[in-house]
Amino acid sequence: MNLAWKEMKKSKLRFSILASIVFLISLLTFIIAGLANGLADDNASLIKKLPDGTFYLADDADQTYNLSAIDKRKENDILAETGDAAAFSVQMGFVFDKDEKQQSVAFVTSTNSDYFEQVDPGEVVLDVSLKEEGVEIGDELTNQFNEKLTVAGFADHQKFSHAPVAFLNKADYQAIYGTDKQQMILVPDEDAKDIAGLDAVSKDELLQSLASYKAEQMTLDMIVWFLIIISGMLFAIFFYMMNVQKIGMYGILKAMGLKTAVLLRMIWTEMLLLSGSAIILAAACAMIFGTAAPDGMPFALDSIMLIWLALIFLVVGFIGSTVSAIQIKKVEPLQAIQQGDV
Amino acid sequence: MELLETINLQKTVQNGDTQENILKGIQLSFQKGKITALIGASGSGKSTFLTILAGLQSVSSGEVLLEGNSLVAMSAEQLRKLRAKEFGYVFQYAHLVPFLTVEEQLHLMLDIAASPLSKQERKQEVHDVLGMIDMLHRQHAYPSILSGGEKQRVAIARAVIHKPKLLFADEPTASLDSKRSMDIMELILKLTKKNDITTLMVTHDEDMLRYADRVIKMNDGKITEDRTV
Repeated sequence: MNLAWKEMKKSKLRFSILASIVFLISLLTFIIAGLANGLADDNASLIKKLPDGTFYLADDADQTYNLSAIDKRKENDILAETGDAAAFSVQMGFVFDKDEKQQSVAFVTSTNSDYFEQVDPGEVVLDVSLKEEGVEIGDELTNQFNEKLTVAGFADHQKFSHAPVAFLNKADYQAIYGTDKQQMILVPDEDAKDIAGLDAVSKDELLQSLASYKAEQMTLDMIVWFLIIISGMLFAIFFYMMNVQKIGMYGILKAMGLKTAVLLRMIWTEMLLLSGSAIILAAACAMIFGTAAPDGMPFALDSIMLIWLALIFLVVGFIGSTVSAIQIKKVEPLQAIQQGDV
Repeated sequence: MELLETINLQKTVQNGDTQENILKGIQLSFQKGKITALIGASGSGKSTFLTILAGLQSVSSGEVLLEGNSLVAMSAEQLRKLRAKEFGYVFQYAHLVPFLTVEEQLHLMLDIAASPLSKQERKQEVHDVLGMIDMLHRQHAYPSILSGGEKQRVAIARAVIHKPKLLFADEPTASLDSKRSMDIMELILKLTKKNDITTLMVTHDEDMLRYADRVIKMNDGKITEDRTV
């Protein structure tokens, strides 16, 4: 006899209240996780979209990308040695659009590579978010040194430090910033060799070294983990309260000879059905939220992250319900009989 | 051979600094198919005695033999199986499972006892027993809408549907008025005699003794009277 299903069918209101709490907490967690991921993309999608590998910076820059200037000879050696390596630079700046409206951008230039947009001199390729601001292909923009740049195209989702990326030709970049030295070199090999005079960092280490990225992500990750911990505690408390009310019944069933394993299976089945349905519904709502969220809201919730969070919730729910299951294992039939009617 | 036998049964509990002797060397045997009433003042040890025989409480010393097999020597799992298959229980309160209908309460007991009946035979058995307790019209009802007497009738049906060897009843009529108490006792009598079930019943109600084949009186953990009615 499926005791779990029968109990849930009979006590619809009680289980619905519990499921709605699990649903709300899961939804909140999914949305915060989506925002955290969205903000991370907004902050550094330029870097996040690059392949995993080794990033070289000048060692005197102390892993601060905008202080790094890699010696030209070293750059040439690495690029000659590794065919698919790319040297690149990023600098924050701004442009004026055709309406003289100032737009903050991150200027990026690179050596010839598939990882970055390649642009002809005098042209610029912008992140697609500027298209939504009214910039069109063919528009003439003016940089901070009054040089003209023609919009040659748009790149999908390329942001750095919450600003849209503007890909420039090396010559134009050099003209603005007065240097032909690149800040970083990417070698798409995580085990690339150490090179004297250069610091080698992974993609994660590079992201963590970006100002604001670490602080922002730590704060959001902390909120997500707090929500997971709080939901775990709520799971444990609710299941405990619910099961404490039924201790008498469990005792009587044990007195009648029902196996404790059957009671534990009942509790776990209830937890799985309840939290499973609530989490699936919350995931669906979070996906809908993702598609319906305003364009300006950085929200990115991918299915792998969603599956991981759902699994964590199920594990947390399992641990929470197991805490009350321990109570059931301990309950003495005689004690339940003496407690009176259930 | 007697169905159930106790040999020098003793139960001692620690109460603060003092040791309290609840049962002081009880030596009794019970014959198959008979109803035995255990009476005595509160604290005389009759409920403790009943729960020990029912495999719900351990002994301090002595022996409990069911058809010659020692309950004292049994593991927790062996006792659980014994309780599921060979024992039935009726308590002061019905203790029905609140989320099961009347017929589901009986099906659950057949599940617990691992009844060898087929699905169809189980259905028929539940139907027959519900007919015997006059609860067919309530078979789909949940306990919350049953009266006290109806609940107790279902509890009795649940306690005997798997045809146990022993029925333990701890003040089964204590929460009922005298008319309903008589009905419940008639029902216990009918069901246990039909299935040759041995019944041990704790009661405070002198009126219930008329249904017993044997009355045992306890006082301060000892048997003070043992008479056949």
